[in-house]
Amino acid sequence: MTDPRVTGSARYAEDLELPGMLHARVVRSLYPHARILGVEGSRVPSSCVVLGPDDVRELGRYGCQIQDQTVLAVDRARFVGDPVAAVAAPTLREADEAALSVDVDYEELPAVYDAVEAAAPGAPLVHDAAVAGGAAAYFAMRPQPGTNVCHRFRIRHGDVEAGFAEADVVVERTYRTAGAQHAHMEPHACVARWDSDLLELWTGTQTPFNVREDLARVFGVAEDRIRLVSPPMGGAFGAKTFVRVEAIAAALARKAGRPVKLVLPRSEEWQTLNRHPATIVVRLGARSDGTLIAKQITCYADTGAYADCGPGVAQKMGFSAPGPYRIPNVSVDAFCVYTNLPPNGAFRGYGQMQSTWASERAMDELADALGIDPLDLRLQNVLREGERYCTGETLHDVRFAECLEAAAEAIGWREGRRGKGLSLVMKGMQTPSRAAIVVEAGDDGGYVLRCATAEMGQGARHAISLLAAELLGVEPESIRFPDPDTSLVPYDTRTTSSRSTYMMGRALVEAVRDLRESGGRRGLGEVRDEGGLDPDTGQGVASTHWHQGAAAAVVDVDTETGLIAVSRLHTSTYAGRVVNRPGAELQTEGSMIMGLGTALFEEVVQLDGQVTNANLSDYPIPAFADIPVQLTHDLLEREGAEIHGLGETALPPVPPAIGNAVASLGIDLADLPMKPEAVLAAIEARQGAVA
Amino acid sequence: MEPEWLEPASLGDALALRAERDDATVVAGGTFVGILVNQGLLAPTAFLSLGRVPDLAFVRADDELRLGAMTTHRAVELSPVVRERWPALAETFGVVASPRVRNRATVGGVLGDADYASDPPAMLAALGARVVARSAGGEREIPAEDLIVGYYETSLGSGELIVEVRVPGGEHRATYRKFRTRSHEDRPCVGVAVCRRPDGLRVVVGAVADRPQYFPELCDPDADPAAVGRAYAEAIDPIADVSGSSDYRRRVIAVEVRRALEALAA
Repeated sequence: MTDPRVTGSARYAEDLELPGMLHARVVRSLYPHARILGVEGSRVPSSCVVLGPDDVRELGRYGCQIQDQTVLAVDRARFVGDPVAAVAAPTLREADEAALSVDVDYEELPAVYDAVEAAAPGAPLVHDAAVAGGAAAYFAMRPQPGTNVCHRFRIRHGDVEAGFAEADVVVERTYRTAGAQHAHMEPHACVARWDSDLLELWTGTQTPFNVREDLARVFGVAEDRIRLVSPPMGGAFGAKTFVRVEAIAAALARKAGRPVKLVLPRSEEWQTLNRHPATIVVRLGARSDGTLIAKQITCYADTGAYADCGPGVAQKMGFSAPGPYRIPNVSVDAFCVYTNLPPNGAFRGYGQMQSTWASERAMDELADALGIDPLDLRLQNVLREGERYCTGETLHDVRFAECLEAAAEAIGWREGRRGKGLSLVMKGMQTPSRAAIVVEAGDDGGYVLRCATAEMGQGARHAISLLAAELLGVEPESIRFPDPDTSLVPYDTRTTSSRSTYMMGRALVEAVRDLRESGGRRGLGEVRDEGGLDPDTGQGVASTHWHQGAAAAVVDVDTETGLIAVSRLHTSTYAGRVVNRPGAELQTEGSMIMGLGTALFEEVVQLDGQVTNANLSDYPIPAFADIPVQLTHDLLEREGAEIHGLGETALPPVPPAIGNAVASLGIDLADLPMKPEAVLAAIEARQGAVA
Repeated sequence: MEPEWLEPASLGDALALRAERDDATVVAGGTFVGILVNQGLLAPTAFLSLGRVPDLAFVRADDELRLGAMTTHRAVELSPVVRERWPALAETFGVVASPRVRNRATVGGVLGDADYASDPPAMLAALGARVVARSAGGEREIPAEDLIVGYYETSLGSGELIVEVRVPGGEHRATYRKFRTRSHEDRPCVGVAVCRRPDGLRVVVGAVADRPQYFPELCDPDADPAAVGRAYAEAIDPIADVSGSSDYRRRVIAVEVRRALEALAA
């Protein structure tokens, strides 16, 4: 079978052409924070349609967790790039020109670009009042009135101060991670059409049902009056979650009375969604024998000008920060903070990379302070089968120690530690969550799968088709898997957090059982995982299913220029059971390479709120020549185990494994990316300390 | 308005258009102009494409090397004669961006763009290359180190087009060190080109200022490499950009100039 992505026959949302269709461009704020005094479109040619604040003022608000967004900025623009108007024209060139002829009057307001500063009292407020929680919020919101904190999450487990009082050694440090761009190959693309009161959208989205729900609120229509089709995507990595370009395209299409296509130019991707920059303060205490006794974590997640899924990101950053260790006293405070920067959201692991960086660097600092081998310190404290996490939940099928030992073995840890680093990751999956699938028998002896699992290059459809073929006893070629269409498929939470093969795979088992029991023509399967955490205590079920993995790195540092060369990178991930080996391997390698970019050089740079490297020349991502000569991985399996999601697990442990390897050379870094300049500064700091 | 696309089919026509249409931006491979247009930094009323002008893509070698202006980076990189007799030049064109870019980007283009963060201009200057500029009125040779005079600015006259680059042959040893702080496909943070000939040494540092930095008075062929490195680091007032700060570049210049000279001596 020839892959349509290879032959060029794959059709993405951008490829769709409808009769009479117009092309859209967005007019964006030039200021990080400004009152909008007026939007004037009189210079725009009459062949074009202009959407301005007055067209959207009466529409509903959207936001997957906090409804803080209007279709266009209505009275205030909150970041450089905030949509203030949009145009649609018969050709893209006319749309470009029309966008340039929209005049906007601004009055600048004070702005804030750092989450810690923004969370402090007296900082300029990005939103005047806290807004209601959105429908996709699966936890209670804890906005802090009068501040930019839109959600605060806590874990309280044991008595952390009493724990520190008993500790023989305590390390404390502030870690920072930079914003990053997903750099998915296909930009955001959407075509919207209204047919009387039915809204149809073809959009590259990982979250068709969440987008439908938000758009129904925006346009005041019933959800069943919106049909949303999600064609395959050319990469997403979390960027294509929730409403991105759909609300603007739909509002323009309604005003124009014609279909409208909106495809973002590459530079606007940096103004649409990036990864949360984070500041994480870790205080970690142990007895002199290495027993962990107390850990206190304070996280600030910079969610930009709109919350998006930032509250969930901050919460996950918080609940994963204790790490896969037995710690009797834990205290976590995680803050999701508005700033006047472009919105930040889901990015392959939802806050996990940030907290793993801080947590796993802190483990090595503690090991160093205790004079204990970092591998031994981890193995001594790592969670084992049946133990409880600090959220109170009991963990099952626990394989952290095996992952860590396999990773250590791969780089010959016991033969000498110089230039080598290890790290461990414990990553939750979207909880609570639902998945459902319909299996239909075709007349040709084949089967059709109808579900909302979106294909973004990760191979979810292929993996689920393989599972279906196995369950139904047919060849994979006789399974058809049409693009998700919300009018035809049952509800699914979304295609995120490495959940589809696991969740949809379980729903599929139920659907095939139903098909057999009901006569063999049609079967419906549905699974629901319940859970969630109390936002004030962090007690409950953080995840019904934990992703487990470890990374190991070998590095060399050019001490004259500060350049880090990674010669060996290895990850060991618990797969439970591998469904599609080539797909699982590619997902793992892709995660590792993305982790390498995050570790060494990826960074969204801003100056006074303006992103200054919003193109792929000034924002490089790893190229083939950047990949270590030895890039290897294990996928650990166990007879009879459940499927474990693999789409993200190998990313978060990569930066701290590299950071710990660099630290083994006496070069101690706290910030990502690990820029050569910072390496030189750390070398000088050490020399200063010695002298 | 749609910009005009001028596509002359002969060098004569191209030179005539170049003289008449000073509003037209010259396009060779388009890899640089394309980025500027896509970023909205350049919106000319017309483009003057050299894509259909014949006989501008060639690699000829006798006493000296002659590269046509429309010769691609990839062609220079892979040319057997360049690899054998001017290996550092082949290597320099071979470290630019990615094969996808090198298959389009041209010798004339990378010089005419005068982008401070390109690799080949420094190496061509170190090798003592001359740039052949032609206009309707005739032809002149410009030493490579005198071509780029500032950010995106050359000493070309308004009616002139780069048609060829001539690189001296003869006994020489040269090397190029491309120092990147980020991806391998990134532009240099510091690029050091050095060439030693019987009659002297040339050290040219690229990507650190508005134009390649060459200080003949600091190029003592008998000096200690570290001393030359330090002297260059002091003489240059480095820029800051996403690849590195000014202070960082100064430190790297000292190290990389020394390493380049040591590599020549080895």
